[in-house]
Amino acid sequence: MANVFSNIGEWVNERAPGLMPVYRKHMTEYYAPKNFNIWYYFGSLALLVLVNQIVTGIFLTMNYDPSASGAFDSVQYIMRDVEWGWLIRYMHSTGASLFFVVVYLHMFRGLMYGSYQKPRELVWLLGMLIFLVLMAEAFMGYVLPWGNMSFWGAKVIVSLFGTIPVIGKDLVEWIMGDYLPADATLNRFFALHVIALPLVLLLLVVLHLAALHEVGSNNPDGVDVKHGPKGNRWDPTKPADGIPFHPYYTVKDMVGVGLFLAIAAFIIFFQPTFGGWFLEHDNSIPANNLVTPAQIKPVWYFTAFYAIVRMIPSAMGTAVWGVLGMFGAIVLLFLMPWIDAGKVKSIRYRGTGYKVALALFVLAFFGLVLIGTDSTADLIPTLFGASADVTGIENLFGRIMVLIYFGFFVFLWLYTHLGWEKTKPVPERVTTHD
Amino acid sequence: MTKRYISIFALAFGLLLGTTAVMAEGPELPAAGTNIRDTASLQRGAHIFFNYCVGCHSLKYIRYERIADDLGLTEDDVMKNLNFTGGKFGDQVISHMPADDAQKFFGKAPPDLSLEVSAKGADWVFGYLNSFYLDPKSPIGWNNTVLPNAAMPFPLWELQGTQVPVMKPATPGDDPQIEKLTLLHPGKLSPEQYQQAARDVTNFLEYVSEPAALQRRHYGIWVVLFLLGFTFLASLLKKEYWKDVH
Amino acid sequence: MANEVVDQGRRRFLTTTTAVVGGVGVVAAAVPFIKSWEPSARAKAAGAPVTQSLKKIEPGQQLIVAWRSLPVFIVNRTPTQLASLSKQDLRLVDPKSDGASADQQPKYAQNETRSIKPEWLVMIGICTHLGCVPDFVGEMKPEPFDPNWQGGYYCPCHHSRYDMAGRVYQGVPAPKNMAIPPYHFVDDTTVQIGVDAEGAA
Repeated sequence: MANVFSNIGEWVNERAPGLMPVYRKHMTEYYAPKNFNIWYYFGSLALLVLVNQIVTGIFLTMNYDPSASGAFDSVQYIMRDVEWGWLIRYMHSTGASLFFVVVYLHMFRGLMYGSYQKPRELVWLLGMLIFLVLMAEAFMGYVLPWGNMSFWGAKVIVSLFGTIPVIGKDLVEWIMGDYLPADATLNRFFALHVIALPLVLLLLVVLHLAALHEVGSNNPDGVDVKHGPKGNRWDPTKPADGIPFHPYYTVKDMVGVGLFLAIAAFIIFFQPTFGGWFLEHDNSIPANNLVTPAQIKPVWYFTAFYAIVRMIPSAMGTAVWGVLGMFGAIVLLFLMPWIDAGKVKSIRYRGTGYKVALALFVLAFFGLVLIGTDSTADLIPTLFGASADVTGIENLFGRIMVLIYFGFFVFLWLYTHLGWEKTKPVPERVTTHD
Repeated sequence: MTKRYISIFALAFGLLLGTTAVMAEGPELPAAGTNIRDTASLQRGAHIFFNYCVGCHSLKYIRYERIADDLGLTEDDVMKNLNFTGGKFGDQVISHMPADDAQKFFGKAPPDLSLEVSAKGADWVFGYLNSFYLDPKSPIGWNNTVLPNAAMPFPLWELQGTQVPVMKPATPGDDPQIEKLTLLHPGKLSPEQYQQAARDVTNFLEYVSEPAALQRRHYGIWVVLFLLGFTFLASLLKKEYWKDVH
Repeated sequence: MANEVVDQGRRRFLTTTTAVVGGVGVVAAAVPFIKSWEPSARAKAAGAPVTQSLKKIEPGQQLIVAWRSLPVFIVNRTPTQLASLSKQDLRLVDPKSDGASADQQPKYAQNETRSIKPEWLVMIGICTHLGCVPDFVGEMKPEPFDPNWQGGYYCPCHHSRYDMAGRVYQGVPAPKNMAIPPYHFVDDTTVQIGVDAEGAA
């Protein structure tokens, strides 16, 4: 048996001698720092979820009907009449939410350990592009079930483009191909969701990994192992603190994959709607262009950005400021490598100012998520009594959160460019591993 | 190190679940107390639904055959005791009231109830069925505290009897508020029996909203256990390989 | 520590075990996806048994009804057509339907007329060659494809020929007699296609 495999291996190798070196470069001879911690699981998990979305997505298209008259029924057809269709759909819908959980944690890891800093700016930019495309992908996927939240979500999000001066109104009609979200909108979103954007995503993921493997992975100490001492038990010329990705990180990632899948399976089998967070109650009502749902809000993973739109009031007769704020919130993340001129990468050795700022930034993000999901509107009466001025308190709280969110970037620029930051000494070698 | 992270994660996850549980409560409604694994309750609920509701409300996403399979009924049970509309065993549950007529009688077509519990929640449906009262000001003679100005006359009145509102002490300037409902004429069922009947209908509609819920709970526990077992094996493997790393 | 000897046996054992358990998981996860291709509840409901009245079918006439989207031929055979059946045996591939065509009909239709009642032929009208629907050519008169034609079916795709019981002639591409679906008579003039009579296997 082993002989057969090695013979096949040789046969392929003779005909494509370039393949093995590629495999070695990215797996057995990719020397990753040996001190990755739990935060380094989320890259491989994101890849796993991407595969899950593609496989379950392909099977959903086999029974989904991308027409305004048939879409809603076809989702129920999948949930009830197709054998195991419910599992495939729940894997896809839960996967969508978990995709963002994993990606947000992955991005937070980057902020914590300075993974966007030189020489990894390109890795970060490609990652941010993935995030942007992922948001477009998720939004269009959310429209496809054609429930009432899908419909009004589409209407509201597309209307964001209507705030652009001069061309806004025409642009909105062009995006929808109608005067309201309709058959044409659903059809084009379907085409983009199932083929166009996934192709772009896959390409970007390949580039993201290729760019990473050129410069090598960062680590929780922010020490570049490539510039440290050489010589490990596998190769005398390679970094002393590096270990081959395969098998050491493949087996380690397997543990993360197992645990992650157990959590995902728990949600899929026992809490597929996640209390209305992953699948919203109002989306069980078919799209109705005459009745807006009582609480119209996007899914949780968009709400932080959506809350920024809500918290920024219109001025000078246009609502474009909120939209600019929302896009600005994302653009600023793109610019992190240039906003942050910190001398050290890892939060372990950075000044207190950075630690506090990052913690506040994360809190502001969560605060905006709560506002965007309308959770604050429910919590305020509980906290401040039934007669509390919900909108007033919410706006005050929300605007503070918006200020903190943007303040993070301003502070970081001043803090690092003006040399206010007092860093701790960075060790020569990575410190720990588990 | 890792243990600390895992416990932080577990805590965060627990908090998130806790928040969602709080969020799901919404307006104050008594808990429906449904349990879709209570097959007897589902069967009773189905009987009430097919006797009192299907005249106007369809369940267009579920088939008679599926109901029979999931509720442990035979084809004969379903076709003789539940299916009064002449549909085939494999057909979906369609009401026999033409939509146009309904539009004329009630001002709006009675909605399909296949996804009612998914959309509104079991507590809402249960509360709705408990909250009809006589209202001479309403054109249909009925009103409802959960859904004010509901277009539906109370179909289960002969079971529950008729309720009338008890008003709160009037405060000048405000519209009169209903404090609670009280039974005027008892129906065929005692209040406790009616609660159970309303719970059974709600339970049946909850099942209809997502028949797959029966299957997913059945398989779920094994999938999770298998994955935890795999994680344990993988962690042993990881420890073994990482002996190389110093 | 640095010179610790690697226990290759344990390492191999754990690798194999994890791989096998992971493999079992992947295979199990594939099952729902494979099963999702089976006919759905909707397809099964649409494929439910079909009831057809026979009152309007004159002797010598054929009616086509759809069962599971398949064309089912219902033919009221005349006494002459029935009489001709027994004269054909030498030209047929499997006249008694007990050879290559043994699985082409339920037991109760495994006879010379391939039917429950001799005059009523109930048959899935799909050529056993490549799935075309053969033409019904009921009249006994010389045809271009057979000067001694006794009535039967002629497939336009590849010229396979069948007699009035759907039995295939020798020397044509089709290998087997056309299939008889499960069916039974609800009463004298009504047939139900898709289920055997109760109690009959």
